[in-house]
Amino acid sequence: MRHLRSAAILIGALVFTFAWVFPILWSVLNSFKTEQDILAYPPKLFFEPTLAAYRQVLFGAQSILPNVWSSIVISVGTTVITMILAVPAAYALARLQVPGKKSAGFYILVTQMLPPVGIIIPYFLALRNIGWMDTYHGIIIIYLSFSLPFAIWLMVSYFEDVPWEMEEAAAVDGAGRLTTLWRIIIPQVKGGIAVTVVFVFLNAWNEFLFAVVLSGNTVRPVTIAMFNFVSVEQTLWAQLAAVSVVAMLPVVILGIVAQQHIVKGLTVGAVKGGGRR
Amino acid sequence: MTTQGQVRLENVAKYHGQVAALKNVELDIRPGEFFALLGPSGSGKSTTLRLLAGLDKPTRGRILFDGADVTAKGAQDRDVAMVFQSYALYPHMTVAQNISFPLEMEKTPKAEIAGRVQEAARKVRIEHLLDRRPGQLSGGQQQRCALARAIVRRSGLFLLDEPLSNLDAKLRLETRTELKRLQRSLGVTTVYVTHDQEEALTLADRMAVFMDGEIRQIGSPAEVFAWPNSIEVAAFIGSPPMNLMKAALKDGVPSIDGRPLDVKPVSGSPEVIVGVRPSAVRIGGDGIRATVDLVENLGDNAILDLSYEGGTARARVDDAADYAEGQTVAMSFDAKNIHLFDAASGRRLEVQ
Amino acid sequence: MPEAGAFSSGEPDGLSAQNLDRLERLREKRFAGALLAPALLALLATTTFPLFFLVWISAQRKDLAMPFMDGFVGLENYRQLLGDPRFWESLGLSMIYTVSTVVLQVAIGLALALLLMKMKRGQTLFRIIAILPVVLSPAVVGMVWRSFMLTPEFGVIDYLSITAGFGSRNWLGDPTLAMISVIVIHTWQWTPFAFMVLLASLAALPEDIYEAARIDRANSWQRFTRITLPLLRPAIVMVVIMRTMVALTAFAAIYVVTAGGPGTATEILNLYAYRKSFTELSLGYGSALAVALLIVTVLISFVLFLLRRERTA
Repeated sequence: MRHLRSAAILIGALVFTFAWVFPILWSVLNSFKTEQDILAYPPKLFFEPTLAAYRQVLFGAQSILPNVWSSIVISVGTTVITMILAVPAAYALARLQVPGKKSAGFYILVTQMLPPVGIIIPYFLALRNIGWMDTYHGIIIIYLSFSLPFAIWLMVSYFEDVPWEMEEAAAVDGAGRLTTLWRIIIPQVKGGIAVTVVFVFLNAWNEFLFAVVLSGNTVRPVTIAMFNFVSVEQTLWAQLAAVSVVAMLPVVILGIVAQQHIVKGLTVGAVKGGGRR
Repeated sequence: MTTQGQVRLENVAKYHGQVAALKNVELDIRPGEFFALLGPSGSGKSTTLRLLAGLDKPTRGRILFDGADVTAKGAQDRDVAMVFQSYALYPHMTVAQNISFPLEMEKTPKAEIAGRVQEAARKVRIEHLLDRRPGQLSGGQQQRCALARAIVRRSGLFLLDEPLSNLDAKLRLETRTELKRLQRSLGVTTVYVTHDQEEALTLADRMAVFMDGEIRQIGSPAEVFAWPNSIEVAAFIGSPPMNLMKAALKDGVPSIDGRPLDVKPVSGSPEVIVGVRPSAVRIGGDGIRATVDLVENLGDNAILDLSYEGGTARARVDDAADYAEGQTVAMSFDAKNIHLFDAASGRRLEVQ
Repeated sequence: MPEAGAFSSGEPDGLSAQNLDRLERLREKRFAGALLAPALLALLATTTFPLFFLVWISAQRKDLAMPFMDGFVGLENYRQLLGDPRFWESLGLSMIYTVSTVVLQVAIGLALALLLMKMKRGQTLFRIIAILPVVLSPAVVGMVWRSFMLTPEFGVIDYLSITAGFGSRNWLGDPTLAMISVIVIHTWQWTPFAFMVLLASLAALPEDIYEAARIDRANSWQRFTRITLPLLRPAIVMVVIMRTMVALTAFAAIYVVTAGGPGTATEILNLYAYRKSFTELSLGYGSALAVALLIVTVLISFVLFLLRRERTA
């Protein structure tokens, strides 16, 4: 009985590992293959690794470095603006007596039910009219539509964890409201801010729908640029694999760094912020 | 002792919507006094402390420090220091940074801060912990750190919100003594909130007993203990609580179980309650016949649970071994130990 | 002490104190308002304004290919929508896609969580593995699956199919297989999410109730159905709500893998709205489709939230 159970657990664990690691691992392997190796049948598990695909992808004629830069500018820009707006708002929602606080919170929640496609249509028309298509500010502003509610809700949950007496102790010690926020409260939610930053960055890096509609030759994040390597006539498999790895790398690193907080981030983001992908 | 640090509450009330947390409180606290606010939870004592701190504003009334109206001032503009029940130490700062924070807020010169922090830390004996974070301290050390943060600024009023309630029993006793010594040496007016009557009785110069958002009695611990002015206060102070026994009146003289008590007749009160502290119940000789229901041995002494015709009572006796459950005893009271209260109003009746 | 109360100078002081209380609250409101206002304005601009604009556009004929025909048409787009078989088909596909992916995620996620709960060591490893798919861009996931897993005679799945004797299949060219493929891909990416949430909830269940149940002689199946499931129900309902919202508006992976094809075989409502607007350039009609999607989303979440309230009550 006991053996049976351990065996079941082991088999489950193995299936789990294989099913979820393999597609990613396979892309990574493919990215180190030559075009010949990659097309070999049956598929090769063992081969002589080469950086040729990466060389091509990073420094070749179709270098994706400008696209990586695009992704970075968009993600960092979105993250910075989101945090500047979200942290004070979340503090107010979590800790201060605000009339209509409930409705404000509900409003932020409800905004998340809007399907992205319903946001992008009007935005597309508006940005086209003012000539903001294919610009960083255009795309960053629309990214706020999903990053801001998410960041506010996540930060609210962190602010709520700070003991209530903190503001009072600071007031008795002679600190004003802003000093209290800056010197007493914010340092206590540093961890929460870091986690929120990771998630906002991640979501911005991964966003696709808005980017597909709004990007052009100037602003072209990696997720869009990978299509350069796929065409009806010929697909550059190894290079496509390399681009995929480049696109995956930052979020995988961030994901592992934020590993312990990921459940909180995902649930708050999805329940209160309506996970947007 | 300083002449500064006089506190006065005039006609102060606090409402949360329609609910009264505090109704019409009048209070004078003398400079340098150790003043306890004692009462059960929800009685308004903590509300009073928060109003003194400026954390809440009264719905009505005035608050004066040394004659100056501070009602309008927020906590950061009042010269008060406070120790919170949870200590409210800033977890991201070291002990030294915690203590220096109020000084920084006052814009104390940098050169002076270090010395003052050292001095405050030495007074509560945590000089060796200055580089630690609150999370690395024991409960008692955290409590000292909170004390140091409160005394460092030498403010005119020192507020303590149940500062000992988070300590274990042994530490609580030690700290209690130390707190008293610290307050004496600083000479600062201190307001101390507690629900623990023993703390109030041992620490305070004077105290106010709160119930239902009102002050029921103000006086020195000895006064309140010896002359509780109502049934409620009498029942609240003292452990085990005072025996409260219904008495029949015959020509104004109260009697229990048909035995008239050795007190002068009362007038104007159709029904009285007789109060006797368990320690003042005499067992033996001639008296009211009672049965011992239970003997609670406390080591040094013992408590007897007694039942007599018409009610129950408790008595403190020296030796548990002298009594057995089911035994019949006689109890009696000396006149000087008898408190009389009007049953309808609950107010103390002065006789003798 | 009523006498002393009469001593205080009475009304004027009392009144001013009352004002103080109010002034204090006003100050706090102002401070809170100042902190909240920028974020609320940004949300207004990026979510509420588009919503009203969207509804307005949905009442227009707005055809980028034929701008000369543009103009206000009232409810015409909605009338057209109700008689549009492609709309009903896409709505049906949305339902199939949503229900199947959500059920699969919860079922597999729960099974894995229960299984790995029992593991003494190595849980951290699985948590990290579970994070990988979840943090990836659905577009990249779609690309990886489409290219390296599903391409006929090249992808690993096709290789396995050939090896197993089922022969090479046109995974994304066959309407049924294509739908199954996009469902599998979505399930692959998001099951680890359900797994992580359910594992966390499982881990939070108190140990002693299981000990109590054992003393009450409940066998392991009874412990699962009578203790674990009821206690886990809030978490499961939460996962269902979250995953439903996401599945209804799934876009990137399907777009990359099939773009809604072959034909309209994987064109869920969300994709239809996109294609109508940005491929066929009929933004007016596309907006009406988006509004329809919004209404469907609101209705479904309303039902799910009712479910949640009922069960937690």
